[in-house]
Amino acid sequence: MGTKDHEPAFLPGTLDMLVLKTVSRGAMHGYSIAQFIQEASSDVLKVEEGALYPALHRLEVRGLLKSEWGSSDNNRRAKFYRLTAHGRRELEHEADYWTRVAGAVTRIMQTA
Amino acid sequence: MEFPTIWHRLRAIVRRRRLDRDLDDELAFHLAMREADYQTRGADAADARVLARRRFGSVAYLKEQCRDMWTFHPLETLAQDVRYALRTLRKSPGFTLVAVFALAVGIGGNTAIFSLIDAIRSRALPYKDPGALVALWGNVMRARLERRGNSYPDFQDWRAQARSFEDMAAFDGQTVTLTGIDEPERILVEFASAPYFSLLGVNAERGRTFTAQEDLVGAAPVVVLSDGLWRRRFGADAQITGRSLTLNARPYTIVGVMPPGFKGLSDTAELWVPFGAYAPAGTMAARGNRGFGALARLKPGVTVASAQSEMDGISRQLERAYPDTNEKRGVEVSPLDVELFGALRPALLTLMAAVAFVLLIACANVANLLIARSEARQREIALRTALGAGWPRLLRQLITEGCVLTSFGAIAGLLLAEGAVRALLATSPVTFPSFVTPGINTQVALFTIGVSLASGILLGLAPAAHARISRLSEALKDSSRGSDGRRSQRMRGALVVVEVSLAVVLLVGAGLMIRSVRNVMALDPGFDPRSVLELRVSVPRAAAPPATTAPGAPATPPEAVVRGRTLLDRIRAVPGVAAVALGTDLPLDGNAAAGFYTAEGMPPATAQTMPRAYTHRISPEFFGTLRIPIVAGRTFQESEMTAASSSAVVSERVAQRFWRGQDPIGKRIKFGALTSQSPWLTIVGVVGEVKYRGLPENPTNDPDVYLPFVDRNSQFAFAIRATVPPSSLVAPIRAVIRSADSSIPVYQVSTMEDLVGGQTSQSRFTMWLMGVFAAAALMLAVVGIYGVMSYLVTQRTREIGIRLALGAGGHDILRLVVGNGARLIATGIVIGLAASFALQRLVASLLFGVSTADLSSGVAVALLAAVAMLACYLPALRATRVDPLQALRQE
Repeated sequence: MGTKDHEPAFLPGTLDMLVLKTVSRGAMHGYSIAQFIQEASSDVLKVEEGALYPALHRLEVRGLLKSEWGSSDNNRRAKFYRLTAHGRRELEHEADYWTRVAGAVTRIMQTA
Repeated sequence: MEFPTIWHRLRAIVRRRRLDRDLDDELAFHLAMREADYQTRGADAADARVLARRRFGSVAYLKEQCRDMWTFHPLETLAQDVRYALRTLRKSPGFTLVAVFALAVGIGGNTAIFSLIDAIRSRALPYKDPGALVALWGNVMRARLERRGNSYPDFQDWRAQARSFEDMAAFDGQTVTLTGIDEPERILVEFASAPYFSLLGVNAERGRTFTAQEDLVGAAPVVVLSDGLWRRRFGADAQITGRSLTLNARPYTIVGVMPPGFKGLSDTAELWVPFGAYAPAGTMAARGNRGFGALARLKPGVTVASAQSEMDGISRQLERAYPDTNEKRGVEVSPLDVELFGALRPALLTLMAAVAFVLLIACANVANLLIARSEARQREIALRTALGAGWPRLLRQLITEGCVLTSFGAIAGLLLAEGAVRALLATSPVTFPSFVTPGINTQVALFTIGVSLASGILLGLAPAAHARISRLSEALKDSSRGSDGRRSQRMRGALVVVEVSLAVVLLVGAGLMIRSVRNVMALDPGFDPRSVLELRVSVPRAAAPPATTAPGAPATPPEAVVRGRTLLDRIRAVPGVAAVALGTDLPLDGNAAAGFYTAEGMPPATAQTMPRAYTHRISPEFFGTLRIPIVAGRTFQESEMTAASSSAVVSERVAQRFWRGQDPIGKRIKFGALTSQSPWLTIVGVVGEVKYRGLPENPTNDPDVYLPFVDRNSQFAFAIRATVPPSSLVAPIRAVIRSADSSIPVYQVSTMEDLVGGQTSQSRFTMWLMGVFAAAALMLAVVGIYGVMSYLVTQRTREIGIRLALGAGGHDILRLVVGNGARLIATGIVIGLAASFALQRLVASLLFGVSTADLSSGVAVALLAAVAMLACYLPALRATRVDPLQALRQE
């Protein structure tokens, strides 16, 4: 599939991982996912928020996330995303990979 | 792509609208939340809205991005292409109609023939696991391998020794007289040993089939009825089992009724009798008395070849143990579907190839039309390319267009095929077995889909190749209509050549089939079948006095002869009867039987060279009535019509074999070996060879020996030469036979010409369809040529105008255009003829006495050339009427 993903100013592929990690704590809607990523990163990762949605839909189509409509804290209809078993495995796999890559990069940066 | 992705995307196609709505809601929710967030931080409503939007990014773009995640691209573009194709087709309904019609003819024809081929496949047999069923036939190595029936002792040995088979059953079809209920009737029955039914996997609907006990020679006589006979003669009596009926004056107890539709392997049986009753005990015990077939089922995993090699071994053992009867005797293991359908297959495969050619011609025609259209659309195509549509995308579009066209063709073709197959079966001179029911099943539908997709791709490739050739960038400049004309002409010219050569192959093929059938029909069968009616009677045996068969016994005229002669005289008196004769069997009626004989003074013979002849007992009028020429001597005299007579008439081959150059009259032969007890017979006449057992040739070249008709023969046939249409005599002759004895059943009533026709039915079937296909091919090819030539003229209007302006006469223009077409046609004919020669050996088995180098091929080519030239001439004539001024102004 030749879809051109509009990646934000992240390392390629990291947005997916961050979304999966965020959602792994429980069902969340898009807005709260965006909020969480931003707050948890102490505003380092601040992006065009809309870019989150193609990623969410991509993960859903791949079967890593499952969505359902529910009501938000302020009683509005919102779409909640949940991690599937498949998504959980993918997250483990990516987190593992990230740790190794980040470790390697860090080591190089320290020694050089 | 992972499975969940495909699944989600496929689901999205149906739920598109809901997904769009959900996406809107989802994004709106986010914006609303962010707005609210800004407002709580003190921004006013309008600012909050702007800030939220800015932070979010382009809503339209992101929506597009999200939607993209759900899109199943191949399907979406396909749908788009299909919609586009439908739109363009709707814009030119005339083109669409013509193209769909041509394709429907091609695809429909292919579907029809394929459904016939599909219907005669092994699995079409209405039996359990039919692929494992085989027929076992005895054979003997003489000048060549000749197939024969089996003998009961041989069969029992095979059954006891062979390990390749689950079981084995003997069977043979015969006609018997059914009495005891209403009128006597001759019915077709099968003698079958008990495993016959379980081998076929068909069980009795009521009651049961035979037990192994009932198979034994001399067992209590029982029968199983067919559903048809049960309804027809027994009023579908629910208490049928235990009732009795009389066959050939013997009582039998009914033990069962078979399910509807089951008519045995002969496909004509109405009743089954245990094999023990097949023949008198003495005949059954004779190892040399061969006549019936055997059915067997291969054990799982056993191949025909391995079963064959086992049977070869058993045959050699039997040959050693019984050299007198089994010298050079073998067994042929033959798959049942080959037995039942083998003869039809080469013809149907040839027809399949022929109808595939028709489809190819139809495709070439439609491709030509598509090219013409693609030329008109060249600017559109070029524009699309310039706008970034890639070459693969364009190709896909063209192929989609082709496939849309062929899909319509396929739908129309399926309807056409459904009707065509029904008409074919109704009018076919070949009678297919009753269980052959061709129709549109999954197999056939898949075939049709495959064929239409393949044609669609071909159709797409033609304009694609053409567009590729006529460089798109140039088209944009619209330099001139003539610039890529030459290349375009070459492409179209090639299509014309293809059409012509395919049509030549079909026409030559049809010509050969017609010639072949005519050859067979024109063949002198050795007798004159015109205006001859034949019918068979069975005189109750009980009415005849004890047979006096001993040689040299006092010549009392036996009663059956008198009775036969009585019937003969009565029939002769019927108005419209020119001559009548009787015989135990008549040419081509399938009742001939053969035996070995010895000629006095001949050198000792082996099993391979032992002379064998078919015997017929006849009345003196036989040769005259059937117009079989008497070469030497005479026919029988009235005084010789006794069992004690030692006179014989032989066919020429007997005389040629033993007494070449001598007078055969007065020479002697006897049946059996020299040492046999049978009496010497003196030859009183020699007659011409007759195609007694098959056309165009007898299955074996054994000659015929004619003996006087005597009382022992309770079943015999009348040959009646009529001065009126023979079938009009059936009713009056039946009436005189009934008035002589109402208990005599009359059966196998047919005209001799029908019997001859039956021998050529398969060739006529092939010929007829080949003719239809060739005609369709010719028509399509001519339409194609006409279309291309017309187009060429239109395209060269300007050039023609200039030529005319420069002083060329109409004649020159005519020569220019016609010459152009003639070159293409000539090339097509040469290629077509070469292909015909190459393909000839594939159809050799279907032909009799012709080859491609036949006059009919010349006629076929001349016909095609004439019609094709006419198709060139008409546009050429139009070209001469071009107004030079107008032509030049056109640009």
